[in-house]
Parts: sequence; C-alpha cells; structure tokens
Amino acid sequence: MASQLLPLELIDKCVGSRIWVVMKGDKEFTGTLVGFDDYVNMVLEDVTEFDYSGTHTKLKKILLNGNNICMLIPGGEGPTGIAAS
Amino acid sequence: MAEPRDETSGTVSEPLDLVRLLLDEVVCVKLRGDRELKGRLHAYDSHCNLVLGDVEETIYVVDEEDEEDVKTISKKSEMLFVRGDSVVLISPQTVSF
Amino acid sequence: MENGAVTQSEGKDPSGFLSEIIGNPVTVKLNSGVVYKGELQSVDGYMNIALEKTEEFVNGVKRRNYGDAFVRGNNVMYISAD
Repeated sequence: MASQLLPLELIDKCVGSRIWVVMKGDKEFTGTLVGFDDYVNMVLEDVTEFDYSGTHTKLKKILLNGNNICMLIPGGEGPTGIAAS
Repeated sequence: MAEPRDETSGTVSEPLDLVRLLLDEVVCVKLRGDRELKGRLHAYDSHCNLVLGDVEETIYVVDEEDEEDVKTISKKSEMLFVRGDSVVLISPQTVSF
Repeated sequence: MENGAVTQSEGKDPSGFLSEIIGNPVTVKLNSGVVYKGELQSVDGYMNIALEKTEEFVNGVKRRNYGDAFVRGNNVMYISAD
C-alpha cells in the first residue's frame, strides 16, 4: 500500500520554502513559510499580499490567521508570478 | 500563554486585561456593519459580550450612488447589551480624529 | 514514517513569532480591510490583540488615533511586524 501523506505533513514539508496562500474571498499571499500551528495559522516571511484590486503590498514578516485560508500551493509564485522576482 | 493576574493589577498581560481596565469608564466600541457605540462600560465577558450604560449609537450609512456621501444616524439608550461576536474594537473614548 | 505527528522547528511557529514581536510596532489588518498600526501590548489564543498608540487607516487613509485599543481576534486577517 502506498504510504499516505497527511495534509499537514505536506505543509510541514514546505517550511523554509516559498508558498502561495489563497484566502476565502479575493485575497492571496505568497511568502516563505516560517512555521504554522494546528489551526494552520502561518508565519510567513518576505510576503507579498495580492489585493482583489490587483495591487500588491510587500510585508517583511506576518502571522496570518488560519481562519480564512482556503488553499495552499507549495512553491507557488502567486497569481502573476511577479512575487518570485 | 498569559498567567492569570490578580483582579486589581494594572498590567496588561493579555488583551482582555485592557478591557478590564476600562470598567466603569466611557469607552468607544466599533461594531461590524459601520456602527459605533459610546458609553460607560458596566460589564464584559470573555466573548466580549458587553453591558453599556448611557449609550450613544452612531450608524454610518454610505449613499449607494455617491460613496463619498456618508450619513450618520444617532440613537441613545439608557442601557444596552452587546453580543460579543459583533465587536470589532474597544478603546477608551477616542483621543483625536 | 513511524511518527505521523507534525514536527515544528523551535520558536518559529505562530506563538514563537508573537512573543518575539510583543512590544514592537506592528500592523494589524482586519478582514474588512481596515488597518491598525500601533505598539503590540499582548495577544491571546483567540488572536485578540491589545495595541498602544494606535492609528486607524480606512482605505489607506488615516481616520483616527486611539490611545489603547482592544481588537477582537475573529476580525484579524494578519499581524505584521513593521
């Protein structure tokens, strides 16, 4: 039987690398995943926040509330790929 | 995370301590739905359910056609219970605008 | 994998980050888009926040000052170290 990877183990593998976070509603973040807890509250570094209006904001280090997170994409570069540069 | 403190202590070791320090003071409470309350804080609990006395409620109504046009509606009440889930922010009466 | 539990690097998880930034200037963004900037006094497990010397920004425009402010955690989207 193939060994299963639990969802949170997948996220744990992302610690230290870039991750793309899609929120419920029209907001997205990319950043380096520093850590997270059981609620999937996340600490992110070198963050870009993508607004519904298309504007993006740079943030050094944030604690993102897990409550409104919809989807996590490992190695993601965000909606436009701008974040990587 | 925060150790329990004795009731009379003036320190803020967890956020709700700040609310405790506001008991019997006039406070400004921001609520969901562009509402604000100004009144004396008689009681609160861990859900942020509040009892306020001598309250003035202000509701900000944004004009549908002209978003710059914001009207305010004021209501006064002697005593008010606020359910915690609609609370956004609690502070001592606003310092400045 | 014999241990299925998620392991965490020391002091890098949310509570480690929070204790690291207590007393520092922070930006708190709410789900409504309203932003508060101030000095972080304390945070609890609900992400309730106590701020000092708080400034309120609506649509990027400064609206008000609050000496102290208690923000209820369910409204918080993120806390950013300035």
